[in-house]
Amino acid sequence: MGPFDSVAASGTNSPSSTLSSSSSSSSSIAKPPPPPANDRLLVDAGYEVRSSNLRHLACRLDHLDSIFSAGEAAVPSAVGLHRSDTAVPDGFLGLPFDACAAAHYNPSDLTSWVDTLLSEFSGPLHPDAAAQLGCWSSVGPTGTFGQQNLNVPAAAQPMAALTAQEEDSGIRLVHLLMLCAERVQSGEIQQATTLLDEMQALLSYVNTSRGIGKVASYFIDALSRRVLNVGLPDSSPATTYENEVLYHHFYEACPYFKYAHFTANQAILEAMEGEDTVHVIDFDLKHGLQWPALIQALALRAGGPPMLRLTGIGPPSPDGRDTLKEIGLRLAELAESVNVRFSFRGIVAVRLEDVKPWMLRVGKGEAVAINSIMQLHRLLGAEANKAEPIDSVLSWIREMKPTIVTVVEQEANHNQARFLERFTEALHYYSTVFDSLEAACSVQPNKALAEMYLHKEICNVVCCDGAARTERHEPLSEWRQRMDRAGFSPTPLGSNAYKQAKMLLTLFSADGYDVEENNGCLTLGWHSRPLIAASAWHTAPNPPALPDPNHNSLL
Amino acid sequence: MAGDNEVNVNESKRIVPLNTWVLISNFKLAYNLLRRADGSFNRDLAEFLDRRVPANTIPVDGVLSFDHVDRATGLLNRVYLPAPEDGSPWGFDELEKPLSMTDVVPVIVFFHGGSFTHSSANSAIYDTCCRRLVSLCKAVVVSVNYRRSPEHRYPCAYDDGWAALKWVKSRPWLRSGKDSKVHVYLAGDSSGGNIAHNVALRAAEAEVEVLGNILLNPMFGGQERTESEKKLDRKYFVTIQDRDWYWRAFLPEGEDRDHPACNPFGPRGKSLEGLKFPKSLVVVAGLNLVQDWQLAYIEGLKKNNQEVKLLFLKEATIGFYFLPNNNHFYTLMDEIKEFIHPDC
Repeated sequence: MGPFDSVAASGTNSPSSTLSSSSSSSSSIAKPPPPPANDRLLVDAGYEVRSSNLRHLACRLDHLDSIFSAGEAAVPSAVGLHRSDTAVPDGFLGLPFDACAAAHYNPSDLTSWVDTLLSEFSGPLHPDAAAQLGCWSSVGPTGTFGQQNLNVPAAAQPMAALTAQEEDSGIRLVHLLMLCAERVQSGEIQQATTLLDEMQALLSYVNTSRGIGKVASYFIDALSRRVLNVGLPDSSPATTYENEVLYHHFYEACPYFKYAHFTANQAILEAMEGEDTVHVIDFDLKHGLQWPALIQALALRAGGPPMLRLTGIGPPSPDGRDTLKEIGLRLAELAESVNVRFSFRGIVAVRLEDVKPWMLRVGKGEAVAINSIMQLHRLLGAEANKAEPIDSVLSWIREMKPTIVTVVEQEANHNQARFLERFTEALHYYSTVFDSLEAACSVQPNKALAEMYLHKEICNVVCCDGAARTERHEPLSEWRQRMDRAGFSPTPLGSNAYKQAKMLLTLFSADGYDVEENNGCLTLGWHSRPLIAASAWHTAPNPPALPDPNHNSLL
Repeated sequence: MAGDNEVNVNESKRIVPLNTWVLISNFKLAYNLLRRADGSFNRDLAEFLDRRVPANTIPVDGVLSFDHVDRATGLLNRVYLPAPEDGSPWGFDELEKPLSMTDVVPVIVFFHGGSFTHSSANSAIYDTCCRRLVSLCKAVVVSVNYRRSPEHRYPCAYDDGWAALKWVKSRPWLRSGKDSKVHVYLAGDSSGGNIAHNVALRAAEAEVEVLGNILLNPMFGGQERTESEKKLDRKYFVTIQDRDWYWRAFLPEGEDRDHPACNPFGPRGKSLEGLKFPKSLVVVAGLNLVQDWQLAYIEGLKKNNQEVKLLFLKEATIGFYFLPNNNHFYTLMDEIKEFIHPDC
């Protein structure tokens, strides 16, 4: 087994039957085509079309062409000298085109342009058109020529009259949101729906591009999904790529993840002083953004760098790529360039609880660092009649006797049993986060995509229950108790980490971010409201207490 | 060509790469929407749909560009230069010296296509085209944003072309070679090819030196319906009907297609006798319905004892040069390069 192999974990009880061990890739399935990408040559021509979509687009263009040909056949031919041949008015076949232009805002997006046209002009297939569709098999829509709605652009919204009215509306919106949440809590769906309508109407009086209006619109959306059972923003595996994009922009737009990585690295660095072999286990590798800094810091260590082993856990890539390995390779190249002995191992797991300690292959003499950035809270939900996975996971972590466990979590109580409390807490928490985004990040599309990232989180907190609700954030005070019960003692993060975190924040232009020391832990917040808490732990000398049977939120 | 009388209507899909097919079909579709039967044109929608790119003095793939606007006429020329070889940044102070003191650097004055009606010098497809010309053919390119029909009919486009030529020839920073002059070629595709011919004509009459003409798929026509028009009508993106529309939009009102702008060697054509007309490279796509007129143009040049080379690309359709995904594209680039670097 080389340094870059991956191991797949699954959710069944007999790992030996599901384990696929391979030397170069985690997937034993045939490789599907590469991830969607735009046709490069068409990009040079100003158009964005996914290569995989070309054929489909061509069919639709072909269909449109046959519609036009059919139309032309109906119109007296203009061949010859005559200029004003027909009485065909502006547009084609009496259908004004400016309506299309109004409906279609991005001519670079050929697919939607063509679809817009098709939906406006679709008519019966010309008899020869079916034959003309020739080597492409898809057949276009049939129907009759619809009457074109003259699409007069909607009259501009009356501008938000006074700031006072906006403020009033904003306050009223929050009030209505709380009322609606109460109705949802008590099961009065009809009233909740009425309130949703009222809120939607009120939204038009509020500036939804910023402030309370924006946050409210997200929460109204989430509530609607819950009440009307509409479903979540798409969470199918095909959008895992999109999720990566959202994460990336969230990472850039605000300091939260950077702070988390930075603080954890600091703790790891200090704890691993003097160690020759360091094995870091990352509970969610994502893009591996945390590790270049650690590698570089280790390279500069007095006395020389240790051997660094990194085990990265991540979900399977839907397109069959070995993303973990790709990231591992990049990190290996970096390590090589700074002369740090390095090896990487990827572990594919759909759920964190599916990872078993033996898969991590911790070697003798290795100093282990467990790194969990916004992951432990996912272990707090449980399927019906089952125990929360958190206890068993914390238990095997302890058995591993790690030198350090770095934990970063959202500083919020989104795991309360009652919906109303959860909702209220989330409303306040995310208002603060949005506020920080608005003040600190004006770069697009970072900001917009960062908001989408948050939108998904909000929807999970508000709409989901049971095993589906993975965003079960709990505050630092709760985590302290859990870690203590599980047999861990706090490793204070120290003034060095504190100073450096403050310095990191100066890179962000907005003056609202606060780093606070909290009994050995550090929190990052916005205007004195802590939003992220970082802590570090090591194995306590005493055996752990039994898991608390009352500490079970089965909802 | 298959040699049959009946050209399979599905042929274009088999012959043309898929992304090219999508690109040109999209143009065809959009253009259908823009042309009105009464001869007017939906310019607003056209401008909205056209994909444009800005100039960029920071080299991209070894080519940089900047725009020049003539304050008197509003005529825009976009200049494309190769990036400095030593990788140093380019600045406008570079315009204080010639392109080269020793080597000859050909300057191609380029007229974009669009049947006199569509596109601009800063259209994405043409900006990309010009950049490729610079890198593959080792030339400097000046793309002219001439006025278009039906708002501006004959002879506006030719006037603008002529003005651009004079501008180019008078730029000290476009000079090169030991003889320190601007080594200029005229080039264009479709209507641009037609403009190139007519500007060359004016230049020859005024005894202004043009070293060569490159006519890529040039737009010519006539009253008569030729074999290629009848055979290829509607088969490869282009129709006789749309060709007629564009001529009606460009030519003076009341004129027919034997007007010399459209049919330079037809019944109303002009003799080139005694004129020092530049050598010509004429590229004909074998699946373009206008090819008989293009071949007639070549015959006309020959009859006037002018030097002309035909590059006939049998299985090429219009627009084959927009995307470098076929052999014809590279053949074309090689031919152009050889044409403008005759001593290499």
